[in-house]
Amino acid sequence: MPASTGPAERDVAVTVTVNGEPRRERVPARTLLVHFLREQLGLTGTHVGCDTTQCGACTVAMDGVAVKSCTVLAAQADGHEVTTIEGIGDAEGLHPVQRAFWAEHGLQCGYCTPGMIMAVRQLLADNPDPGDDEIRRGLAGNICRCTGYQNIVAAARAAATMLQES
Amino acid sequence: MYTADFAYARAGSLAGALELLAAAQARGEDVKLLAGGQSLLPMMKLRLAAPETLIDIGGVGELKGVTGGPAEGAEGAKTVIGALTTYRELERDPMITATFPAMADALAVLADSQVRARGTIGGCIAHADPASDLPAVLLALDATVTIAGGHGTREALLDDFLTGIYSTDLADDEIITAITVPAAPPGQAYEKFPQPASHLPLAGACAAVEIKDGTICRAGVAVTGVASRPYRPRDTERILASAPLTPSLLASAAAQAGGAEQGGDVRPLSDQHASGPYRLHLAEIMTLRALQRAVERASGNSSGKAGER
Ligand code: FES
Ligand code: FES
Repeated sequence: MPASTGPAERDVAVTVTVNGEPRRERVPARTLLVHFLREQLGLTGTHVGCDTTQCGACTVAMDGVAVKSCTVLAAQADGHEVTTIEGIGDAEGLHPVQRAFWAEHGLQCGYCTPGMIMAVRQLLADNPDPGDDEIRRGLAGNICRCTGYQNIVAAARAAATMLQES
Repeated sequence: MYTADFAYARAGSLAGALELLAAAQARGEDVKLLAGGQSLLPMMKLRLAAPETLIDIGGVGELKGVTGGPAEGAEGAKTVIGALTTYRELERDPMITATFPAMADALAVLADSQVRARGTIGGCIAHADPASDLPAVLLALDATVTIAGGHGTREALLDDFLTGIYSTDLADDEIITAITVPAAPPGQAYEKFPQPASHLPLAGACAAVEIKDGTICRAGVAVTGVASRPYRPRDTERILASAPLTPSLLASAAAQAGGAEQGGDVRPLSDQHASGPYRLHLAEIMTLRALQRAVERASGNSSGKAGER
């Protein structure tokens, strides 16, 4: 648990363990976690879509739970662990949810995809064998302007099967 | 989008938070408490709020978690929910969902999974959004709010605590510490008609009924999204109380859902999403649906399973 700070300050020192590595930066207090990740750490896989807590493009896992990083201050993540899309797999070893999106054509422009994948990961952690309705409800916080969602639901279902078989 | 600049401090305990709050106030600063931030940060980004100082209470462990409830005590035990308990924690707490099926209904349709992971029950009450789901459930269940301040602790009925759009009876030097829900009958349900983009209720209604020998012996009803604050439709509750459960009873009670509340006649909100008369119509329909499901559950009908939609 991060300790209490001293008196209020406009710049804060923040240490966040990002994808397993502790990263320490001094940032203005108003810095959002998504900007900390993208601009301070250069991890641009996490996207900013709406910036108003609606689209989910900025979804990352904080202490293992999916949150919208445009609606978390970097200072609130101080002392916590964050996993971004870069932390779950890479070109050589895609995460099963990434493989499922590829196999099922669960993306077109790809803008929503990192957030979708982080959200599906959470959905399947909470409910390893969801039905279509549960998938749609579970992804209510993520917007896609391209796919019409059909193939995203299919990808989530395929990922569930892959994860259960592995 | 960036918020306006502010100074940030993090409290490690309730006492520490109260101290930071008092100190900031003594310096004349415009100060806000930050819990999960799911309402406050969006407001700050839109510059609807621009506090000079933010006191982050998100890590204050003593304000988290659920105690009491039927499992831990005699029948009639109260459930005390720490103000910093998140929606996600509530949604995954089997005692909460079993004891308060209406809360399970609301938690299943409230915001989205990522927001529920950080949003807190205390933050929801303090924010006092007129279109927020959980306050309707808490109102119908006669919840009280525990508040700590420089001069000690006090208790307020939620119905008295909510005062209007984004406003409550919370003093500048006070912090909500817990929400207490008395023992409730199993016949309860929450129904909403969401605005499709925001998921906020254009109208939402919670009903809690206790039925003995075909007669409603206790009824709590609350409506949200319709007026400047969630309210209890007094005439609806009056019609239900001590009434034999006839086919027409629920409809005639629900017809009064837009009628009168504690402070007089309901003055419906009206905006680009829904006119006042439309909101009042939705209030009636949502109240009827909530009553029907609550009665089903009171009679042990499993088709009204909590959190199903
Ligand atoms: S950018 Fe965070 S929810 Fe859209
Ligand atoms: S693939 Fe383009 S926004 Fe989803």
